[in-house]
Amino acid sequence: MAEPRSPLGKAFVAGDHGNHAAGIGVTLRERKNLSIIQITAWADSIPAVLTAIGSATGLVLQNKPGLGRVAGEKSVFGFAPGRYFVVSATPDLETRLRSAISAELGTMVDLTHGRTVIRIGGPRSEWVISKLFAIDFSEHAFPVAYGRATLHHDIHTNIQRIDDETFDLYVFRTFARSFWLTLGHAAEEVGYRVE
Amino acid sequence: MIIRCPYCGPRDVIEFTYQGDATRRRPDPASSDQDAWNSYIYDRTNPGGSHREFWLHGGGCRQHLVITRDMTTHAISSVAFARSIVAGESS
Amino acid sequence: MTSSRLSKGGRIDRSRSIRFLFDGKAYSGHPGDTLASALLANGITLFGRSFKYHRPRGVFAAGSDEPNALVTVLSGDVREPNVRATELEIFDGLVTRSQNRFPSLEHDFLAVNQLAGPLFSAGFYYKTFMGPAIGPLRGTRFWMFCEKFIRRAAGLGKAGTSPDPERYERMNAFCDILVVGSGPGGLIAAEAAAATGARVIIAEERPLAGGSLLASGEMIDGRNPAVWAREKAEALASLPNVRFLTRTSVWGYYDGNVLTAVEHVSDYKPNRTKGLARQRHWVIRTGRVILATGAFERPMVFPGNDRPGVMLADAMRRYAIEYGVATGSAVTLFTNNDSAYDAARALSIGGVNVVAIVDVRPDISGTCRDIASVAGAELLLGHAVTATHAGKTLSSITVQHFNAETGRVSGAPREIRTDSLGVSGGWSPAIHLASQAGGKPEWDEDLQAFLPPEPNQNWVMTGSAAGYMDTISVMSDAATKGSAKSRLVLPAVEAPMLDSSPAPVFEIEPAIKSQKAFVDFQHDVTADDIRLAYREGFHSVEHLKRYTTLGMATDQGKTSNVPGLAIMADVRGISIPQAGTTRFRPPFTPVSLGALAAERHGDLRPHRLTPMHDWHLANGAKTYEAGLWHRPMIYSSHGETIEQAYTREAKAVRDSVGIVDVSTLGKIDIQGPDAAEFLDRVYTNMFSTLPVGKARYGLMLREDGIAFDDGTTWRLGETQFLMTTTTANAGPVMQHLEYYLDCVWPELRVHLTSVTDVWAGSAVSGPKARAVLEGCVTGTKVDNDTLPFMGIVRGKIADVPVMICRLSFSGELAYEVYCGAGYGVHIWEALLAAGKPFAILPYGLEALGTLRIEKGHVTGAEIDGRTTAHDLHLDWMLSKKKPFIGSAMVHREGLKNENRLSLVGLISLDNQSINGGSHIVTDPRPREPADSFGHVTAACYSPALGKYIALALVKHGTSMIGNRAFATDLLRDKHCAVEIVSHHMFDAEGSRMHG
Repeated sequence: MAEPRSPLGKAFVAGDHGNHAAGIGVTLRERKNLSIIQITAWADSIPAVLTAIGSATGLVLQNKPGLGRVAGEKSVFGFAPGRYFVVSATPDLETRLRSAISAELGTMVDLTHGRTVIRIGGPRSEWVISKLFAIDFSEHAFPVAYGRATLHHDIHTNIQRIDDETFDLYVFRTFARSFWLTLGHAAEEVGYRVE
Repeated sequence: MIIRCPYCGPRDVIEFTYQGDATRRRPDPASSDQDAWNSYIYDRTNPGGSHREFWLHGGGCRQHLVITRDMTTHAISSVAFARSIVAGESS
Repeated sequence: MTSSRLSKGGRIDRSRSIRFLFDGKAYSGHPGDTLASALLANGITLFGRSFKYHRPRGVFAAGSDEPNALVTVLSGDVREPNVRATELEIFDGLVTRSQNRFPSLEHDFLAVNQLAGPLFSAGFYYKTFMGPAIGPLRGTRFWMFCEKFIRRAAGLGKAGTSPDPERYERMNAFCDILVVGSGPGGLIAAEAAAATGARVIIAEERPLAGGSLLASGEMIDGRNPAVWAREKAEALASLPNVRFLTRTSVWGYYDGNVLTAVEHVSDYKPNRTKGLARQRHWVIRTGRVILATGAFERPMVFPGNDRPGVMLADAMRRYAIEYGVATGSAVTLFTNNDSAYDAARALSIGGVNVVAIVDVRPDISGTCRDIASVAGAELLLGHAVTATHAGKTLSSITVQHFNAETGRVSGAPREIRTDSLGVSGGWSPAIHLASQAGGKPEWDEDLQAFLPPEPNQNWVMTGSAAGYMDTISVMSDAATKGSAKSRLVLPAVEAPMLDSSPAPVFEIEPAIKSQKAFVDFQHDVTADDIRLAYREGFHSVEHLKRYTTLGMATDQGKTSNVPGLAIMADVRGISIPQAGTTRFRPPFTPVSLGALAAERHGDLRPHRLTPMHDWHLANGAKTYEAGLWHRPMIYSSHGETIEQAYTREAKAVRDSVGIVDVSTLGKIDIQGPDAAEFLDRVYTNMFSTLPVGKARYGLMLREDGIAFDDGTTWRLGETQFLMTTTTANAGPVMQHLEYYLDCVWPELRVHLTSVTDVWAGSAVSGPKARAVLEGCVTGTKVDNDTLPFMGIVRGKIADVPVMICRLSFSGELAYEVYCGAGYGVHIWEALLAAGKPFAILPYGLEALGTLRIEKGHVTGAEIDGRTTAHDLHLDWMLSKKKPFIGSAMVHREGLKNENRLSLVGLISLDNQSINGGSHIVTDPRPREPADSFGHVTAACYSPALGKYIALALVKHGTSMIGNRAFATDLLRDKHCAVEIVSHHMFDAEGSRMHG
């Protein structure tokens, strides 16, 4: 089967950009070939869904707003009541989740093609994304592995914190190129590398 | 203005959409009482004080909220998920 | 020559020179200078011409309160008007120009406006231009005649017309405590707050921290106060929980403790590193705010008080201490309070020659007397300045006896030679932000000033902004405001004991006035204008403000507010608090539009691109923007007009086969045991009866019975549907559905997810559409039995899974092929390859539109928020078996009235194109005005009919069929004879799509 095409197209230019003479403030890359499954639990079955996600992925979550887990390429996080992204680089994820989550527990939607995942890392990542999003990125307000849903103007974005200076930004695919350009523009000040 | 979403926490008002008066009640769907429907669709109170409103957190968790807000000071005294409030009131 | 650089002093770097231009002439200054200080150091005292009267004006203040010294900064073709010279830091290559003068600052023709003084008094515009008809000239006509002359004569700087190439950005910040201002109060409050471990942001408007300490003659811990402030600021900035922003003006205070600020990141730098913004717009959400915004000195109102050379006493002191500039060689001061003595002390320490102090008070303290005598200044107690005199700059002032009790001027005038007069009318705490936050300021009799209101949000005020006028009490208050448990050891302050209460004198009004006495310098509002406003019945402060424009200029009345209110209170015979004050509104200081727009301009506004976007561009598509989407309009071959291109494309669809990108359609995944029930409630027609693997066309109404949106919904499983919406309504429909699930029917178990971006959609239409699919689809048959009209199958194309639904917008045999968006181009190209034998053509929105107009299918142009299902002949879709959203209201009498506009087709009779938006009339050039009875919603050339056609909404639509009328476009003077026909203009029976 053909390789899925990235929506970034010609806007993706590997290399150093902006004011990189003074150092690389952030690194941007597109995480490709992920499977992104959205699971929504019925209001009365959230704990059961979390258990099911845990058994299918090995990532166990408690029922708490925004809570998430990260293990290598695999991650899960909540961003709305009973709603989770389960993300993995393994293609059998959907099958395993389907067998774990029955219609009585909740519903699943495969959003793999609908989202573009941009990873921003580096010492100035918090500074750069603070230009775009009106949420508090400090670590006590937004701990590692937690998820958030927010927006940059019209671009709805899910964000998961990977470590103290790394974030995964899930943007709608059709907005991805526009968002990528905006992000690069915002990062020029600190110098950025595209990998 | 900041709205404290019960799921997402305090967020900027730009993430929310005003969705109207939360005190009105939709008539029985099968009802053909035109006065009741007229009142539901067109009549709005505009109290100079506390009021209940629906807001959609479209820029976050996409849940509708019921917000109690003072119309003169904009002070918000309570925020809750609309689903649980409406379900609680109709049961 | 009056003002000059002192031989020593100031925090300027005298070892380096900076060259800049003002009105085409080169001057030099030093790092640390503002344009105002550098020009004063060069002996320039004339900075601009005033707003209405074109009076010469000099620099009046030393900070953001400056009303007069506004300049235009030029950078290439870009001009930024109304920049305060007192805040503009100079750099090499800075080019500035004075404003509102013609042809030059020195020789201004329009200074004759001064002679026409009464003409331009308060209410000039209302009186002159809204009056009754005078001969042929009605008031508004007269305005239109005069406007261009007045616009030229009155005003501030001119805005540029070139695009601003500078970078601006927004920054979102969160903290526990925001401290606004870094004078002695701000620094101590921030130190106390930071010691608790809280996240603190300090915002200082000026390049250096210190506020009043920068120009103070006091000693702190035995040291120069400016040095103490600098070290304190450095220590704070180095803390991990503190962010110290300089050159950052907090200009707005909004609900929920959201404050906005502009940081001048690199305005003052001649060379900027790549990516660095010129200005950064901060939006700061904070738990608590400490407003240490200081106080503004007030002017006195007296005849001739706007002459260049007259300025605030504190500004004079700041020029001397901070910039090493003497504003004159023989300086005088005029005051109603002690602070002018503190200024005199600092000035004489700085080496400025103070010749006299004129004080309205009959008596003063020993401390003040001592200061005057040490400075060598003559003391004129119980006196006031009653006139100023000048050649090009101030040369002397007239002084007379003044009784502060009665306000009466008496005695023989005496002339004192002076080239610079410093004025102090007391101090007004900078309560602007607190006032914005919503509180009502309170008048303090002692300070003769408005103090901050009771907080209605989580803020406190400290320092002189809270009415503490000496450094010692400022610091002790600030420590407790910073943290209630503060254990800070406060520094020792050596300062003269001065009384902070002024005499309640605001205006000197001699019996015979030969000169105007100004209240609002920037808008040229005089004391007499205020009295005139009173006589004409404008008594409330709100009316006064609007009638005279007092306080409405770019300085927002920082210097004029209280003197103006005082004069109004006086003529009304009431107290100042009875007169009240207006509420301050954002912005505190002017904010450039660039900073507000930040990154959202030019190419950085969001664009939405379909997965096949690059293919379209590479294959000749001309695109246009539909909302945020970019969509192909036509695929042009060279030399073709748009009409030729879409005609060719539409014809290909009718004759053989075409393909169009429909990825922009809104798509919503609807799942759950109650999904079918939910759809029955939101659509007018039934969906619970729809078999799995079939699609149905659905119509949604609003609750009031007006049509809302249409589209097809596909049943993918017993409990799973895929809803499609029109491109434009994808967001509103989603919101509509969510509203009903959350707020009306929370008992329904249904989940909604927008999947618009998940699927790429390609619609293949035309008699050969099935043949195209047969050539590439594997894993399923696509014949009429397997895939009947409105059927859905799953299969593969080029090894990629696809979902195919047979439905038609064009009226032809047609299929929508959906695949994962990442494979959009892959599938699109595979379909094109399979269509090659049939000369498949990609078609754009114009052809799509043409095909649907021919068929009479509706879109947003007809579902326009005013039409009903009846109007659009969709009433057959209104189920009678169940209630649905809008069912209770859709049958209202008014919505079924025969008079309503309803959908018809139009055919051009004279082979002319019909303009979209044309009105339907019986006579295109009636003698008497006649009503339009409809309008064109969409028009095109129809290749299938060989005619220009249109869809229209027309009164009595159906019964008008067969009649002739005109589609008339008065804007473009185009009138087309048309025949009204059924909206089904092509293949009314629908045999083609069912074939």
